[in-house]
Amino acid sequence: MSALNDIKLRIEEKIKADGLDAKEVKGKIGLRSGKVLAFITASTPDDPEAIAKLKQAAKEVLNLSL
Amino acid sequence: MKWNSIRTKVLAALVACLVVGAGCILALMRYSFERNSQVLAAESVTGSQKLFTILEAREISKMTAVSEALITNPQVRDAFAAGDRTRLLELTAPLYLSFRKEGITNWMFHSPEPDMTVFLRLHNPPKFGDHLNRFMDKEVVRTHAMVSGNELAKAGFAVRILRPFRDLQGKVTGYVEFGEELGQFIHAMKNQTGNDYGLLLSKKYMDRQFWADSSAVWKRRDNWDDNPGFVVADKTTASDRIIRFDGDLAAVPGQGKVLERFQEGNSVFVRGIFPIHDAAGNTVGAMFVVRDISSFYLAMRRTANVLVILTVTALALGILLVLTLLTRLVFRRLEHITVVATRVVGGDYESEIQVTSDDEVGQFERLFEQFRRVFIDLTTHVPELQEKG
Repeated sequence: MSALNDIKLRIEEKIKADGLDAKEVKGKIGLRSGKVLAFITASTPDDPEAIAKLKQAAKEVLNLSL
Repeated sequence: MKWNSIRTKVLAALVACLVVGAGCILALMRYSFERNSQVLAAESVTGSQKLFTILEAREISKMTAVSEALITNPQVRDAFAAGDRTRLLELTAPLYLSFRKEGITNWMFHSPEPDMTVFLRLHNPPKFGDHLNRFMDKEVVRTHAMVSGNELAKAGFAVRILRPFRDLQGKVTGYVEFGEELGQFIHAMKNQTGNDYGLLLSKKYMDRQFWADSSAVWKRRDNWDDNPGFVVADKTTASDRIIRFDGDLAAVPGQGKVLERFQEGNSVFVRGIFPIHDAAGNTVGAMFVVRDISSFYLAMRRTANVLVILTVTALALGILLVLTLLTRLVFRRLEHITVVATRVVGGDYESEIQVTSDDEVGQFERLFEQFRRVFIDLTTHVPELQEKG
């Protein structure tokens, strides 16, 4: 199981729960973290730097602590 | 509004322009006022000096005409030739009353040289027999022709004419003198120009005791001690404060000098001074000129206010226009590009960037739209993404 994919799923849950515009929010997180969320899958290898950036972006955009 | 945004920077620059523009206008108006008040003061000094010269010449002409009529009067001529003071006074006293109304304040008969004393003083008959020994006395004796000019006596300053009186054989039997106190000129000058004037006399050429005595005779305050170097012989204003001069009268240049501008209550004045010379060419006094420039000052203030209001309004409208144009032509279109770019990264491949113009931002829109299409084309070739649908 990929940690990056876990984070992506948590983000998608949060977007759904808050009723937000998924494409806009995913776009903002993607631009801030430098990762296109659509490209993250269960087989995406974990990269500590990418994980940290994605968490930071989720915190800034959604105020979601991961 | 972000402090580091272009909008804020442009707004700050425009507001700075507005402040600088308003400041420049105020400074320009201030400079203009300073310059114009100097010009007005210089004009007042020059104009007053010319007017003084004209009045002086006119009064000399008048006294010359009067003396011409007098020396041809046989009764007066005979009484003077006979040295009959009582008869001469009888004949001339009624005339003196008329002359006084026309401004002639001094009228004297002088005995001939070598003695040359005052034979009869119409303006002060009991006083006679004294030697005056003035420049004009010496000149008329030397030339035996009419001399005229300003002469500062011990107690006053007058424009005078002095001419020989001859008997039927043409022999000089004495001299007649007419004079007008210069102090009365300033009232005529005020009537013509509206300026206020003060006649200053240098103490160097005056006698303290005579000034005190004449002050008592003319029922004026003895102002000898008011100023160190001069006395104010006459002035057209009740205020002593507006006539203020600390310099040396002898140092006032011939063409006059503009002094400072000053404010008293709601009124603004400019001061100037020009010298007055006696017949010998000495600077024995000066005319102090005070011009009220309050109306000019108020007009300048009103103009400045109108200009500032117009400038601020014009610049404020300019700021509004520039910001509106920037918003429509640049900021709003950049925001649209940002929104589309964000959505594309978020997976929205339907949003397009509309190229609305061929300007600089339009060229960027076109480039970004091309980039967006390349990006979407790339993503469609990622197999994982295709599987996700």
